[in-house]
Amino acid sequence: MKKIVMKFGGTSVGTGENIRHVADLVTQYAKDCKVAVVVSALAGVTNSLLEVACQAKKSDVKHIENFTKKLLQKHIEAISTAIISKQIQKEVSQITEKTISELEKVLTGICYVGELTAKSKDYVASFGERLSAPIVWGAIKDHKLETQWFTGKDAGIVTDSNFGEAEPLMNYTTHLIRERVDPLLEKGVVPIVTGFIAANQDGVVTTVGRGGSDYTATILGVALQVDEVWIWTDVDGIMTTDPKIVPSARMLPQLSYQEATEMAIFGAKAMHPRALGPVIKENIPVRIRSVFHPENEGTLITKEADAKFTEVVKAVALIKDVAMINVGGAGMVGAPGSYAKVFEVLGKSGINIMMISTAVSEANISMVIRRNLVGRAVSTLEIALLGKGLVSEVTAEDDVAVVAVMGANMKGTLGVASKIFSTVAKAGINIRMIAQGSSELNISFVVKEKDGPTVVRAIHEAFGLDKI
Amino acid sequence: MRIILVGYGVVGKGVTTIITRKYANNTSDYGFNPKIVAIADIDGAVINPRGLSPQKLEEIKQKGFPISKDPDFGQPNITALEVIRTVEAEVVVEVTPVNIKNGEPAISHITEAFKTGKHVVTTNKGPLALAMPALTELAEYNNVYLRFSGTVGGGTPMLEFAKRCLAGDKILAIRGILNGTTNYILTEMSQNRISFQEALATAQKLGYAEREPSMDIDGFDTACKVVILANWIMNKKVTLKDVDRTGIRDVTLQMLDEASKRGNTIKLIGAIDGDKPTVKPTEIAKINPLCVSGVLNAVTFSTEYAGEQTLIGRGAGGIETASAVLRDLLDIRHRLANRLLS
Ligand SMILES: NC(=O)c1ccc[n+]([C@@H]2O[C@H](COP(=O)([O-])OP(=O)(O)OC[C@H]3O[C@@H](n4cnc5c(N)ncnc54)[C@H](OP(=O)(O)O)[C@@H]3O)[C@@H](O)[C@H]2O)c1
Repeated sequence: MKKIVMKFGGTSVGTGENIRHVADLVTQYAKDCKVAVVVSALAGVTNSLLEVACQAKKSDVKHIENFTKKLLQKHIEAISTAIISKQIQKEVSQITEKTISELEKVLTGICYVGELTAKSKDYVASFGERLSAPIVWGAIKDHKLETQWFTGKDAGIVTDSNFGEAEPLMNYTTHLIRERVDPLLEKGVVPIVTGFIAANQDGVVTTVGRGGSDYTATILGVALQVDEVWIWTDVDGIMTTDPKIVPSARMLPQLSYQEATEMAIFGAKAMHPRALGPVIKENIPVRIRSVFHPENEGTLITKEADAKFTEVVKAVALIKDVAMINVGGAGMVGAPGSYAKVFEVLGKSGINIMMISTAVSEANISMVIRRNLVGRAVSTLEIALLGKGLVSEVTAEDDVAVVAVMGANMKGTLGVASKIFSTVAKAGINIRMIAQGSSELNISFVVKEKDGPTVVRAIHEAFGLDKI
Repeated sequence: MRIILVGYGVVGKGVTTIITRKYANNTSDYGFNPKIVAIADIDGAVINPRGLSPQKLEEIKQKGFPISKDPDFGQPNITALEVIRTVEAEVVVEVTPVNIKNGEPAISHITEAFKTGKHVVTTNKGPLALAMPALTELAEYNNVYLRFSGTVGGGTPMLEFAKRCLAGDKILAIRGILNGTTNYILTEMSQNRISFQEALATAQKLGYAEREPSMDIDGFDTACKVVILANWIMNKKVTLKDVDRTGIRDVTLQMLDEASKRGNTIKLIGAIDGDKPTVKPTEIAKINPLCVSGVLNAVTFSTEYAGEQTLIGRGAGGIETASAVLRDLLDIRHRLANRLLS
């Protein structure tokens, strides 16, 4: 019997109806698989919890009461549609009320102390999943399935104490999960684990941060040695490009870990690379598929891309919230360490460089960074480097976008770059900057933002991505 | 370097004028690119992260509107404090009117800037006279710079001269004519043989003295500057209430005549010499280099090894004071660059 971890995201459990649907899916698959479930908080709840926690620092207790009242209402509504049995409804409602009254006490405490530490922030954030998991549990139980729910902490996910961005102690976690969760799974019980939240070795609640519930799912997948990790979401899988730009965009049936990582970095609606970490090591496939179209197989992410599937270019992405910075000066030519100074200054100011391109002449270096950092970047570079004989000009363009063309088979295939650039040229569009990593998994270039969609459409067509 | 300008009066306009005339489009020549990203005054603000064009703002002001009426970047409902808190910038230039009762709104502006990690350049004596030890401590604590060249001597670099050029020597005493208005009045009285009241009226007519002249003639302005000199140069933790202060209201023509017979004249002298800083009308020799006339200022530093050094210059004026602001901005830029590359 196949073993599968299924993770359901915020939208999948956004309403009582959706939760009911999730329970249907789990029941269906549980017939011939061993299924462990990871759930996120109801859509929007985690953000609203963090918001209210930040406000609690200064706001009055009234505000908190209002918030918890609304939160209770939202969950009670979900319970009444997700679960039919009155008996189970009552049971879940009681858990919900108890949990929310604890939340109210926590928030009130923050309000009186007037301080929100990373530790207490994680604790508040953990309530989202602590509220959603029992409802999913109730809905599955309603289907006459044996099931049990755990917080990440109780399931045995142990992390370091880096609150807000905790890393699992993978071996210890595996040990505990095998002890606590695996036996249930073997008995045919459906374990449900809250995503996102865990605890350090002292039992203090932590959250895993970037990657969120997906990360929990892959941790659990590795610990339980499952056959596949399924990420149920509201899209059909990873697409060749954003269907809002190219309506004929296609779903990609299969990708390698490397390709998926590359695409996530370039903003494809996929998994956070951090979440892929555990499964890459253990070589466990991940499937991304839609709760609304379960008949579709989704995208399977594995070690090697399928040999049948040899398209050179697999996807093209448009990254919009970026800016390009150019640092120039004749003094940079042949001056050892001149680039290092540019990077040092940006690094010290906490600015991450996404893309770099330089001329052999060394008189100029162009970089792409997040758009919201462009003011700080230009200003700090000017403060540090202007007028010292090295740099004579720092300019920025914030009306640009990056187009990233990706595919593992680009490596070693001749003529891909020339085909890309002649396609762009034919569309009459000027390229502002080009970069290709030596891994050859992608070629990225910068165009004016207004030209971005045209370029993406042209490349999508030129490489036949609508026919995959 | 991104700058938030708080206060758009005489000095504020001077700052924008120098920046646009000298630096705009000449970045690579000067190796310095100051950019004003927000200007806030009492009726709101104009904000543009790409940098503002002061020319347009001056036209709006000349038509009698507040700058926040600017159709593109004006924000009439935002306070200076919110601008300081929310707009991204490296430096806040604080040039609001002086207030020696409680230092506001400048003290709030300066502390808010510190809290949000912004350096401060000010020409406003109020906050320094009342709370200089506190403000320098806060700046240090927040790892930012507080600069205020324009508060003493206008465009004449009195503070830097003592701090930098006399480094390594020991400054034993500072004496100076630090207020142009009172010096003008005393000069008029003795040269044209007119009474204090008549001289004050002339000064007011010429715009050298305010309608409410107490700040100058009762010696408050000089006392503020003495406090700044004492703290910054002589490391004395004093504030305005520690200054022994007498103004020039009671200086008579007769007193001036008698001093003149001895080859002397009477000047309002601010001094730090011994423990208690003082401001009082003092008889000095006409041949003393300190003895300048009209609206000029002068200061003498007595040092242990280099003897006496006197600096003379125009002590006020919008563009002169603005030049001191630019000097401070360059100093901060220089220090930040060293920090970034160390
Ligand atoms: N002028 C000089 O020669 C000189 C020399 C040395 C030092 N200083 C000092 O430099 C400072 C500025 O002098 P100035 O001659 O430029 O004064 P000013 O012409 O009176 O200008 C003051 C500016 O501050 C604004 N302002 C007033 N209250 C404010 C508030 N609460 N928040 C924000 N802005 C506010 C005023 O706005 P509104 O116009 O809307 O009222 C005006 O734009 C003063 O402290 C002065 O003592 C001046």
